[in-house]
Amino acid sequence: MSGYLLGDTDVDDTFAEAFPMRYARVVITAATDGWALEAARSMTGFATSVIGCKCEAAIERALASDETPDGRPGIGVLLFAMDREGVGKRIVERVGQSVMTCPTTACFDGLPGADSTSPLGATLRYFGDGFQASKVIAGQRYWRIPVMEGEFLVSESVGVGRGVGGGNLVIGAGDEDVALAAAEAAAGAMRGEGIALPFPGGIVRSGSKVGALTSKSMPASTNHQLAPTLRAQADDTLVPDGVGALFEIVIDGVSEEAVREAMRRGLHSAAGAGATRVTAANFGGKLGQFHFPLSDLRDPP
Amino acid sequence: MTLTLTLRTQPPARVFAAPLIPERLRGRGASAVEAIELRCGGETVAAGDLFEVSGAGTEEEALVLAGDLRQFDWIGARMSSGEIVARGDVGSWAGAEMSGGALRIEGDAGARLGAAYPGARVGMTGGEIVVTGNAGEEAGAGMRRGLVAVGGRTGNGAGLRMLAGTIIALGGIGDEAGLGNKRGSLASGSALEPLPSYTYATRFHPPALRMQLLRVRQLGLTVPDALLSGPWSRWSGDVTELARGEILIFDENEEGA
Repeated sequence: MSGYLLGDTDVDDTFAEAFPMRYARVVITAATDGWALEAARSMTGFATSVIGCKCEAAIERALASDETPDGRPGIGVLLFAMDREGVGKRIVERVGQSVMTCPTTACFDGLPGADSTSPLGATLRYFGDGFQASKVIAGQRYWRIPVMEGEFLVSESVGVGRGVGGGNLVIGAGDEDVALAAAEAAAGAMRGEGIALPFPGGIVRSGSKVGALTSKSMPASTNHQLAPTLRAQADDTLVPDGVGALFEIVIDGVSEEAVREAMRRGLHSAAGAGATRVTAANFGGKLGQFHFPLSDLRDPP
Repeated sequence: MTLTLTLRTQPPARVFAAPLIPERLRGRGASAVEAIELRCGGETVAAGDLFEVSGAGTEEEALVLAGDLRQFDWIGARMSSGEIVARGDVGSWAGAEMSGGALRIEGDAGARLGAAYPGARVGMTGGEIVVTGNAGEEAGAGMRRGLVAVGGRTGNGAGLRMLAGTIIALGGIGDEAGLGNKRGSLASGSALEPLPSYTYATRFHPPALRMQLLRVRQLGLTVPDALLSGPWSRWSGDVTELARGEILIFDENEEGA
């Protein structure tokens, strides 16, 4: 595909195709930033793809003490699912299992004032077995759930916003070390306010296609067209000449603009870190509501 | 311009000041406010005879009462929205049975702050009361919801027959606190001997109280960092009721022990 050159990087004339998703943001605080991070890592574990994990979640960013509701160090976490009910179920499961269980934590709604909400503490409170209590503080209700350490404090509900899931970049280079370094640089540049990169380290090596060639029951299977080892085997290979490894970065964001700007940051960082080829995954434009042409990302951030 | 009533003469008797709440003054000009009749002893008196009125009732529902208001009872009573700032000491029953809004008293409050009316079971059901000075006896009596925050001390009997809600006294809570308390929270910034119907539970760092103290700081009281970081002792009671209430006592002396 003819696209444009960004330094020495070929950028394909293609687009990323993304979907509307619903999301919640929670703020996890703890006595130390280390414990807040432990809880956030646990909560966002096994949340890489809605296909296999029912949600996609990632750490958004670390929060200083003066940015959190209770004045302690914290972590912002974004969790995405296909609908509000999905967000609601997953957030209760994950806060219940990964945050409430973690020493010294509290968990707050990170989208106050959202049009739509889903219960959090209102459901988790039953773990208190009748000993729970609530407090309304500055108009917000919180639940105090007695635990062995003391009390777990959690917001009554979380706001549920409308976001975008599935923005992506596919980053390639002549060998896997260079391709990975470029992908790491891109992921580092993409992270920030309003962005979740749900895969390990923000990077996925096993990009998928919808369905499978050999099975009707598989919802997804390997993106064989971008598997370099199949270059000589698959008739429909799309692995460019000179590319020996590719990595995908999947981007979920709180808005179309947030995803686009993250892709822009990622593209330029990847180019600066040695990527020889950057492309994007799509489904021919027929499935996703949001299209992000790489040609729109030519100007640096 | 905020509606401001500045006291210009002391009333001849105690005044029932409940009509002076923002929601009843919304959109009223100075002359309309001056014409409001207040009970004063066995008589009625026009607000304009006692106060110099400036500004007008605003959509923001802010009202300032300025002066030595110790003769004025029921300030902010039954208010449900808006904000009253009393710049001076106030009488008894301030914020009684209020259900919303904010009452800020820049001075001392008399007895029965945020309490239930005589004979009523339920007192304050919402909103926030902040007192920069001290509060009198039986603050928060019958309280069901909301926050009473006192920068100084409360008198005896705070939280009498309290149903729920929170009373915080940074300077300390007086004796016989929380008698008949069902689910309410009392937090004392200094040592306190709880009633025998309370039982010591533990010493911990209460996360909800930390949030409330941050809110109190936001509302303008000076909350020392030490109170935020705790620890606090928790006493559960009143066993003559549900025993689901609590008295939290700042436990400074045992820090690091």
